[in-house]
Amino acid sequence: MIITVTPNPAIDKMYWVDRLKMGRVVREEFLTRAIRSDTSAGGKGINISIFLARMGVENVAMGFVGGHTGHVVVRDLREEGVTTNFVWVNGETRTNVTVLERERAHSPILIDEEGSPVSQEEISYFLRRYKRMLKRATWVVLAGSLPPKVDADLYRVLAEMATEAGAKVVVSARGNALTHALRAVPYLVKPDTREHLSIEGAPLTTRSKIIAAGRRIIETGVRILVVSHEVTGDIVITRDTIWEIKARVKTTQFKNLVGADDVLLGGILYMMDKGEDLEEALRFGMAAGILSAESDKKICQNMEKIEEEMAHISLERI
Amino acid sequence: MKVHQIMTKDLTSMEKNAPVRGLIFTLDNAEMSNMPIVDEEGKLIGFISEKDLIKAALPGYFEMLHSTSFIPDMNQLVKKLAQIADDPIEKYMQHDVICVEEDDDDLQAADLIIRKDLKSLPVIDKDGRLVGVVKRIDLLRHLL
Repeated sequence: MIITVTPNPAIDKMYWVDRLKMGRVVREEFLTRAIRSDTSAGGKGINISIFLARMGVENVAMGFVGGHTGHVVVRDLREEGVTTNFVWVNGETRTNVTVLERERAHSPILIDEEGSPVSQEEISYFLRRYKRMLKRATWVVLAGSLPPKVDADLYRVLAEMATEAGAKVVVSARGNALTHALRAVPYLVKPDTREHLSIEGAPLTTRSKIIAAGRRIIETGVRILVVSHEVTGDIVITRDTIWEIKARVKTTQFKNLVGADDVLLGGILYMMDKGEDLEEALRFGMAAGILSAESDKKICQNMEKIEEEMAHISLERI
Repeated sequence: MKVHQIMTKDLTSMEKNAPVRGLIFTLDNAEMSNMPIVDEEGKLIGFISEKDLIKAALPGYFEMLHSTSFIPDMNQLVKKLAQIADDPIEKYMQHDVICVEEDDDDLQAADLIIRKDLKSLPVIDKDGRLVGVVKRIDLLRHLL
């Protein structure tokens, strides 16, 4: 069974507008009307859970939820067929807002809340539940930011517990949370590159810097490192091989990049869980991610279209 | 149809040594009216409802309901609840749990919920581990 942990989930509120109007005074001409809007459960692990459930893979989503928005997250997941196992906490699950402007090629404007703090008592309660779930786990995905005031070491603790229980660990995080998680030597690591690309504090601005930093991580025992280098290109490093995955698509076709990165990781995991080889898993993951970016929907899972999209994905050894 | 096709796939549960205070917090925030109790393996070992907590705080209350239609002494209820707040759930939970297996027929779950006047029914797998709950609303949604 696959378990995803999203310590800081969110409601993703998306607005599609022609152009965001800004003015000094409140007048009708400065009012931006949304052409469309969408509300859904979000957070990196949750996006992966939803993708897997849509692909028919049983999985359990864990983390912390609270308040009215917490209920929206849980309800959304259940409707998607994901098994929920969240710890309820004081405070409100955060809301992240994305505005997509049609006149600016759907470039996103992102407003992310920090989230509500989680107490040590709530963490302890979560750890007991997590330990129980590990007895059924084959893969554990630790993904996204940590709530405020939570020790940056949490992912290391969770990763070590999962490895000890015999599960393979996937980490998609950034900053201190990622640095600490690397000490537990996860199976697969995908640095979260939404803000700036860095691993263990080192900014990664070029392909050669990514490869050099990636090799150092692989030497510690991490089996697979996936780094998003460009919107349509990732670098994948293993002990034996370095690949560059490229999608031959026009970025002007992209309508919604929110969650595409998570779908990519979900696609890789889906294939590896089925026992497919890594090259095929990478191609499938990239195709699923690109398809999601090309769609208005946050998570696109049409198997037929993913397979069609795979024809546009190339995998080159560096 | 099988139970696993209609159940709510939620594993919210507590351990028997958790305090009543924590149970009330989770029941309130998760909007649940009862809670499955599991062991370290995730196996279902008990069940506790809001009704069990009220019984624990005011033992004679449910008997009195036959003759009166109000809580006889609210202060007494508050005081008693405060007294049991740090007690382990185990002290008040039901040990004989009514439950169904995930591959049982939905009819069996419906029969138990109606006959035993339950708001929800825990669902277990072949190894006795909690895998979800069937709520009254799951049955109604399914029947529609």
